[in-house]
Amino acid sequence: MLDVKNLNKSFGGLAVTRDVSFKVAPGERRVILGPNGAGKTTLFNLLVGELPATSGEILLDGTLINGLSVHERARLGLSRSYQKNNLFEELSIRDNLMLAASASQRKSNWILRDSFRDADIQRTVEETAELVSLQDLLDTPVRSASYGNRRQLEVGLALATKPAVLLMDEPTSGVGPGIMEGFRSLLQSLPRDLTVLIIEHDLDLAFDVADKITVLNFGEVVFEGTPDETRGNKVVRDIYLGDWQSDA
Amino acid sequence: MFHQTLPRTTALLLVLAGLTLYGVFGGFYAREIVVEIAVLAILAISLDIAAGFGGMVSLCHGAIMGLSAYAFGILTVKFGVPAFPAALAAILTAAVFGTLIGWVTGKTSGIFFIMATLAFGQMAYTLIFQSRWLGGDDGMGGLPRFDLSWLGLKMGSSLTFALFAVFLVCVTYVAAAWIMRSGFGRTLSGIHANEARMRALGVNTVGHRAGAMGFSALLASLAGILTAQHTQYISPELLFWTVSGEALIVVILGGLGTLIGPAIGAVAFVLLKHQVSDVTDYWHIVVGTLLILTVVAGGKGIFGQIEDWLARRKASSGRNGDA
Repeated sequence: MLDVKNLNKSFGGLAVTRDVSFKVAPGERRVILGPNGAGKTTLFNLLVGELPATSGEILLDGTLINGLSVHERARLGLSRSYQKNNLFEELSIRDNLMLAASASQRKSNWILRDSFRDADIQRTVEETAELVSLQDLLDTPVRSASYGNRRQLEVGLALATKPAVLLMDEPTSGVGPGIMEGFRSLLQSLPRDLTVLIIEHDLDLAFDVADKITVLNFGEVVFEGTPDETRGNKVVRDIYLGDWQSDA
Repeated sequence: MFHQTLPRTTALLLVLAGLTLYGVFGGFYAREIVVEIAVLAILAISLDIAAGFGGMVSLCHGAIMGLSAYAFGILTVKFGVPAFPAALAAILTAAVFGTLIGWVTGKTSGIFFIMATLAFGQMAYTLIFQSRWLGGDDGMGGLPRFDLSWLGLKMGSSLTFALFAVFLVCVTYVAAAWIMRSGFGRTLSGIHANEARMRALGVNTVGHRAGAMGFSALLASLAGILTAQHTQYISPELLFWTVSGEALIVVILGGLGTLIGPAIGAVAFVLLKHQVSDVTDYWHIVVGTLLILTVVAGGKGIFGQIEDWLARRKASSGRNGDA
């Protein structure tokens, strides 16, 4: 579904993504692990086109998407959520989801009809709200919603576009245990044909949902394998779990 | 996100009725003022689409209006084209010019956008100012009005023309409100709120903003055609950047992003100008003071303040009802 070949990104002399290659199968749940500064978010920025790659190829479902702009990649079904909330602050949760659904259903250019009154859009908004447990808060303005609810909406916006590949950048960063459980069940309830890449720091959650795990360090892929293989791997332990292990 | 609420509809009807009555029962001078208000109201509503809904604070709307007036003038006076097709061509010219500006400035925002539009506008002004063929700073006279005799209307009459101007304000508002509550208008508000996220959701934000500028320019051209037919004379002054600045003042005074606010702002601005200039030449001081008060009070504008007050009253009566 997603095929990344020899991807490089450098800012001047600083290489932040080095020769990254990996393949994600359709419907796979891939977790990206790595310490802070390993280049995980940069990798996402390269995939969706918010940063241009220095070299390398990105193929989405067999199509080369390197030259495409952010919105063109989004229209091909690549959707992401952000590590830091990136929402429409002044609007209600409902209107936030409406905008996302209108965009992906190509109704954002309707000039004679109101996309917010379209039955398909409204259905998508309700389904998405239910997925991210916001169905009772639809009319709450984002600016007065709790941090946890905003994290849910952050993922909701990406989901409302009904993507083929969903990239989630630390969806659980900073949320409490209740919402953490919510995300776990959200991840399990996502349609099986949806390909998901998640950057996640919570290892329990990561090992629980992942089909495969990719570990980055200093911009390089240092390991790729199943959760069980990851747990037992020495390289991964050293760079990612190292201190924790030696302390024990 | 635009909603055509009851207060907005009421305000629209009040403005239209007030202008109509003033035109019908006032004399020739009152009708001149009605047309002056109508031109400014149309220009301000069109600017509200760009600035209030799209976040594109344009300093070239005067130039867009003037350009459409000149397109109308050139076609009718120089080429003898009848008024209706000439007006259609003028509307198209403005829309293309607006879309082009929107497209070129598509990746700029804030002060850079303002400066870019200022440059575009002043370029158009200079071109026309320096053109001998167009009369330079002497302008151009002898422009025709629409021939509506097939409807039994004599456009030469000051009353008929004033009522036609009020009708155009109504058309402009309805068109603006319709588009702002369409998928296109909603998405424009989304881009204003968070352009990067809108792009990530799959919207071509540069194209969308260009389209919004084009639509805004299309409405501004109605003001250009109206003012050209009103005085039947046009001069480069129409394109000067202070015209755009004045329109921006009117939008902020009336209520940015409310559509009807700018029309109310136009009424207040023109009436104030005529009332105060009877007393003193320094009428700008009064308008300036009002603008400062508006901005200090939170920048909601006249109509924005009224909406705010109505919303708070509704909220408090809702609480009392629960108790």
